[in-house]
Amino acid sequence: MQKRPRYGLYAIVALSVLISFFPIVWLILTSFKNTAGIYAWPPQYWPDPFTFENYVSIFTNSPELLRYILNSFIVGVGATAVTLLLGGMAAYALSRLGLRFAGVLMVAILAVSMFPPVSLLPSLFQNFLNFGLLNTYTGLVLAHAGLFLPFTVWMLASYFATLPVEIEEAARMDGMGFLRIFLTIVLPLSWPGFVATGLIVFIFSWNEFPLALVLMTQNAMRTAPVGISLYPGEYAFPWETISTATVLAIIPVLVITAIFQKQIVGGLTAGAGK
Amino acid sequence: MASVTLNQIGKSYGAVVAVKQFDLEIADGEFLVLLGPSGCGKSTTLRMIAGLESITHGDLLIGGKRVNDTDPKDRGVAMVFQNYALYPHKSVFDNMAMALKLQKTPRAEIAERVNAVADMLGLTPYLERKPAALSGGQRQRVAIGRAIVRTPDVFLFDEPLSNLDAKLRVKMRMELQELHDRLGVTSVYVTHDQVEAMTLADRIVILNGGTVAQIGTPREVYDHPATEFVAGFIGSPAMNFMPAARAGDHWRIEGSDLVLPDAIGLNATDPALTLGVRPEHLEVFAPENAPSGPWVFDARVKLAELLGADALLNLSVMGQPMLARVGGTDFPLAGGRVRVRIDPERLHAFHPETGLAVTSRSPSSGQ
Repeated sequence: MQKRPRYGLYAIVALSVLISFFPIVWLILTSFKNTAGIYAWPPQYWPDPFTFENYVSIFTNSPELLRYILNSFIVGVGATAVTLLLGGMAAYALSRLGLRFAGVLMVAILAVSMFPPVSLLPSLFQNFLNFGLLNTYTGLVLAHAGLFLPFTVWMLASYFATLPVEIEEAARMDGMGFLRIFLTIVLPLSWPGFVATGLIVFIFSWNEFPLALVLMTQNAMRTAPVGISLYPGEYAFPWETISTATVLAIIPVLVITAIFQKQIVGGLTAGAGK
Repeated sequence: MASVTLNQIGKSYGAVVAVKQFDLEIADGEFLVLLGPSGCGKSTTLRMIAGLESITHGDLLIGGKRVNDTDPKDRGVAMVFQNYALYPHKSVFDNMAMALKLQKTPRAEIAERVNAVADMLGLTPYLERKPAALSGGQRQRVAIGRAIVRTPDVFLFDEPLSNLDAKLRVKMRMELQELHDRLGVTSVYVTHDQVEAMTLADRIVILNGGTVAQIGTPREVYDHPATEFVAGFIGSPAMNFMPAARAGDHWRIEGSDLVLPDAIGLNATDPALTLGVRPEHLEVFAPENAPSGPWVFDARVKLAELLGADALLNLSVMGQPMLARVGGTDFPLAGGRVRVRIDPERLHAFHPETGLAVTSRSPSSGQ
């Protein structure tokens, strides 16, 4: 049967790409404009003059930017590691160990994640203050881990459900205990699931705003989104600094995504069965 | 090597009985097949022996020792799974060596044992490959090799051949047979394929709906099925069944008043019976050549299927569908009129409600 070109479909795809990418493209273009270009009326679409000046001056205008990005990176990596470790083990226990109330627990975990993070802030702040966790990487890593654990448990549990259970049974017959099965069999086999979940958690953590704003009060400990959001002063709105800093803050996420994306391939269990 | 004893073993999930309690003594070196349709409890029974499923009733003894609460790895059993269950991220060598590594066997001994088994199974050229780079038959061989390397007391097979194509299945079946002759290890083998059961088994346990229907040698279950279910399940194509109703001294069968052989007729006390006869025990004649006698019926050929050496005739005998297996040459074609003779000595009789065999003739009569 001859396939008719689906113009309508292409139109919808093009439209959605345009809508979702417009702000980012606008941001990138802005970062290459000079101040006059940014405020020009009618608006300038293509930067004229096209200048790299903002990328040079950003480090004198905002020497803290690299620190912000580093903070975001440390918190993101930490939160991802803690979330995957705890979430992975919890998901495995809930999906495979035949616990009596596994289904109830899964729903309870989901229910916990229904609280808006902002509603947790007062108590979180008070406790972090008491435990001396404000303005520490450990503190924000724990907060983010708590925030994203339900998602992680659900993602990984559904991934584990796709693994043939016989492999784990064979490992039991071979003499492995549950922890060893998890570490040497389940973990390598569900690596794509871990990478995909980890990437999402990392990006969530990178972008997370309210907790990072409240729990990191010292300038040196701020994450990129919070730091950049505080650029506007009382009288000035430094668009060139904001756009340039935002573009720079996106880059680490892009790089990490590019590196790990290749690992999200299916078919890793090929050869286990038929 | 060891014997396996199932002492009133049973499995229930709450009020639901998956396997009704039964006794079974598997002799040292015996090849025992658990046979039945899906959901009959055969895999559950195997998994209870393996230790993958808890035992809710009775005692399981391996080599005379009670192992109900023993870890799978300490039971001296090795299992071959239906979908092979190889470790996909490990080489063939590592797959086969895993159990020995976990037992902290010296490296040199592991290599020696794995190489010996690989050699026996023709896997030597593939030892460094990952399972994904192997064919289905090779994968199944690795799964079997993984079990052999451990030198277990008991082999457990969970439908190991059902993922292979028909030709390979026959080949692997023969290999398994040779392997068992060679190693002589007690084996428990689960299958729903009665051909596998008949060819491999020393004894067959036929399960139906969680209940043991019959335990016996392949010969016994074929010649003397204990229930109507067994009679219909063993043998391919399946046995023909027809109702018989008592009419005084006679039995009314397919519209004729007939006398059943003493062995059946005298034992039966019920007003009705279900009679069974295997397709291979029906004789089909052209009307003009047909012998006369009480056990010869008119029939019409609805469909004739040539299998090669044999042909299957779908018959309508006085309105009752029946299947006959005849020689592959000169058989009547569809639409033809024939006469069918049933040898009354070949009849099986079952109680129409309980399904239990009404008579059992002496084993010597089966041939």
